[in-house]
Amino acid sequence: MSNDINEAPKKVLTTTELLSTYTDAIQAGLDNGTHYVAAFKQLNKTTDTNELLDAALKLTNFHLNTDYVEFPHQFSDEDVQLIFFERLLKLSDNNDSLAISNSEHVQKLLCKFASLGDNTFTFTKSTKNESGFFFGPTAHNRPLFYLNLKTKEFMFHGSALIDYFVVDLEGLDISALKDALSVMMQAAEALKENFGFKIDFNVLDGINGEFYEFAAGEVPESILDELFVKSADNNYILMSGERGGANLTLDNQTKLSVYNAGDSDRPKWGATIHDEDQKESWLYLLLDYPFIKDWYLDNKKQLEILSNKFIFG
Amino acid sequence: MDKKTENDPFSQTDSVLSSALSQKITYLNELNESIKSGNDLKIYELMDPNRFATEVKGEEPGEPTPNYFGLASDLKAELSHHLSNQLIDYLGVTYPFFYYHEYDLGKFNIYFGNWWDHRMFGELDAINVRFNFAEDEYETLTKSFELEAQNKRVNDDQMRQLGEQNQKLTQLIEDQAKRDQQKEQIRKQLKENEEKSPMPWEAGKVKEEHQQLQDSLLQLTQIDEQASDGRAEIKKNENQILALSKEETIYNLEKQNIRASFGSFEAFIDNNNHLYAKYLQSLSKETQVSDGE
Repeated sequence: MSNDINEAPKKVLTTTELLSTYTDAIQAGLDNGTHYVAAFKQLNKTTDTNELLDAALKLTNFHLNTDYVEFPHQFSDEDVQLIFFERLLKLSDNNDSLAISNSEHVQKLLCKFASLGDNTFTFTKSTKNESGFFFGPTAHNRPLFYLNLKTKEFMFHGSALIDYFVVDLEGLDISALKDALSVMMQAAEALKENFGFKIDFNVLDGINGEFYEFAAGEVPESILDELFVKSADNNYILMSGERGGANLTLDNQTKLSVYNAGDSDRPKWGATIHDEDQKESWLYLLLDYPFIKDWYLDNKKQLEILSNKFIFG
Repeated sequence: MDKKTENDPFSQTDSVLSSALSQKITYLNELNESIKSGNDLKIYELMDPNRFATEVKGEEPGEPTPNYFGLASDLKAELSHHLSNQLIDYLGVTYPFFYYHEYDLGKFNIYFGNWWDHRMFGELDAINVRFNFAEDEYETLTKSFELEAQNKRVNDDQMRQLGEQNQKLTQLIEDQAKRDQQKEQIRKQLKENEEKSPMPWEAGKVKEEHQQLQDSLLQLTQIDEQASDGRAEIKKNENQILALSKEETIYNLEKQNIRASFGSFEAFIDNNNHLYAKYLQSLSKETQVSDGE
């Protein structure tokens, strides 16, 4: 600054000093690169889940280029998340049901589920949070889940999962769809068990009594009329239930309840599912019973299941 | 006439009065005992001994037995409440598809089924062991059974009509582009028509042509309007169709349930008509069994 120059004349550096500064700067850039390489090796090779997470955290938002040293071929933060995700699954005894499909190039990495053919998936960085990433199909802009390694959060996005697995992939084998879904759930479980992540399973939560809250709040009677008619067409009988709601007993004593968990002034309609194995989730229900799927899609505006608005909004 | 009272112009002696009162006391005591011991069979006999004799015991109707129920008839609601317990247990087995709601002391609404939007089907009269079905609901059920024999449904005509209307509206909406083309064509023709300067003897014909073209154009714009209101109309019709299918679904469940329990609607009606006798005979059997033990 001009004031500095007036008060204390700048010390003139000798050539040797200048050259030292230069080599120091390059060395720092190289050291930075060495750190990166070490972390990347760790991400790629470690068999310890804690080291895996540590490497992914180090590499996310890593500034590899410095003023004096630039690296032309770099993996993005999104790629780091995908490598982490794939390796976490491998280390959790998942037999290649998800694999990175284009690792021969240094570019945006994609992955495929073994059961979903050529559909590719990738991570995209959140615009709101530099450590948050969305995972979704490459061909659609649908975040199936949100992953934040730094804040240890993993959240499924209910309506996007339904749009993708129930609508876009309609026609694929239900078991293939469930295989892919279970891979993602397995990853979520691994994050929870190994690192204590907070998981929101949303429409994939199979725990009995999980309340799937409908977007509309209030559900008009005609919507339940429709479920009643469609159920009867499929030889299930929708019974009248508690709190103005209704119950449907499906196969293997799986029970779907739709009711108002709020009151008449502040209605909060939604559904719960009870089954012996605690495996049936809202999304599985839509896959298992086409008439419930049709009912849901006919009334999607009201029946959409809410996800975290702050993250996905 | 009693000889002892021959001299009294009103044939009255204290002993007659006293005996009459005793009978009443006995009656009320018996009623009270039957309630305390839970002997509903006896209560029914005491409430209407003549009906009991003919319908339950199968006796020929003869001299009517005196009926003292008037003494307790102001307690009908309480009695009904008391009697409903065993009666509803019995009906739960014979009519498993009926559900009851006691909306006032001793007064019961009947619901057909416990499915979504089940119908309120009338009232249960526990004193007379009788269903008082709601007329409208019962008639619809009867009609539904009748039509079923002809492979028809109660709401068929209405549903078909609405379906056809929706098809028509959908067609109108789909044909919009076609109509737009037609209108374009007519406008061109109109323009050509207006540019003509006809000979006087042809003027009338040209004018007539102009009018025809304008009429067709108006007709097309009217159809356009119908089409633009079409979507709302279709939605409205769909809602109505849904409501009608819901009704049909309910009738179907009712019929299924009646058949599952009785085999046919006729057998159901017959059972309703003999409900008093059937119920009390079943109570009497139970009493015999428990006496025997």
